Amino acid sequence: MNCSPFEVRDYFLKELSEAERQQVEGHVEGCRACRDELERLRMTESALLALRDEEIPQRIGFVSDKIFEPSPWRRAWESFWGSTARLGFASAALLSIAMVVFSLARPAGTPAGPLTGRVSLATISDADIQQRIQVAVDQAVAARDVREKKLEQRVAEIETLNRAENQRVTLAASAVDYLRREQMLQDRSRYLAPSDREDAK
Amino acid sequence: MIFRAVEDADLIRQAARGQVEAYNLLVSRWEKRVYNYLLRITRNREDALDLTQDVFLKAYQNLRKLDDASRFAPWLYRIAHNEAYSMFRKRRPETDVDELVPEATDTGVLVGGSSVFPMELGLTVAGALGRLSPEQREAVVLKIYQGFKFEEMAEILDCPVSTVKSRLYAALDLLKAALAPIRSRGVS
Repeated sequence: MNCSPFEVRDYFLKELSEAERQQVEGHVEGCRACRDELERLRMTESALLALRDEEIPQRIGFVSDKIFEPSPWRRAWESFWGSTARLGFASAALLSIAMVVFSLARPAGTPAGPLTGRVSLATISDADIQQRIQVAVDQAVAARDVREKKLEQRVAEIETLNRAENQRVTLAASAVDYLRREQMLQDRSRYLAPSDREDAK
Repeated sequence: MIFRAVEDADLIRQAARGQVEAYNLLVSRWEKRVYNYLLRITRNREDALDLTQDVFLKAYQNLRKLDDASRFAPWLYRIAHNEAYSMFRKRRPETDVDELVPEATDTGVLVGGSSVFPMELGLTVAGALGRLSPEQREAVVLKIYQGFKFEEMAEILDCPVSTVKSRLYAALDLLKAALAPIRSRGVS
């Protein structure tokens, strides 16, 4: 018996496409024989499913062959990167450490006011934030001015030292020239005859 | 189901790289289904348990040969089918395949003194299943109890889809006559 456009058993076994299923459903509505056939198939399935799956009496304990097993280090490494939970935990731990280090390393006096207890972000107004920003900017500008003044003083000191050094070098060079001329005159007088020496004079 | 399939595929890839924990998780997900499939075609708890162990060992050894992780289920059941029939052949090498599976009785399935189906859980159903041929019974088990598609069943049983359908239709006709006869008489 198969007056349905598609096999009723295929419909029952969920092996038809959606379009085919709709055609069979349309047919079954008007066909008593196919409707009864479908009903009997459902009864059969219900009876079969009365025999439920059994629990496995003993869990399958699987142990890998050592030859195929990677080294413990590699397993630990792959296990770490293969586990989103462990990665997440490690990230959270790193973030916590970073927060602690930052809070401990922050220079004293940075906060605009004394921190007593917990400060709620909701209680800080925009004006407070602007004021704190302005204070921080003013402090930064003042610090920069101080650094620039110190730098200018240092440059002036270096220039003074440089000038003094130049003077010393010039004096030394003049002294060397004077000594060389003296030496030349002495050498010349040594090699000249007494008459020449008189002429030279 | 799709999400589960994706997770299985991920576990299969990890297991193929040698992660035993991933494979053990995969085993824990599938052991009950595979055990019940083998229990219904062997009808013996001890055989089913031993075969289940062998199936997962063999699957692990050959996991790298599985090209498409989404085909894991039919691939695993193909191994289970082969292991079961291999056991039947070893025990009774001269017997025809149709007669390899132990006979059922109307009072339940008795193999080696171990009753698979308790009396109170439907002797009629157990008897009706027992009267099917091994191929018909396996087709019913794969479709009704395990929920495979025709194409997957053909892959597991290594036969054409048309053969799968003919076995299943014949089995359903027999089961229908045994389990839903009253409405049948009323209609005719």
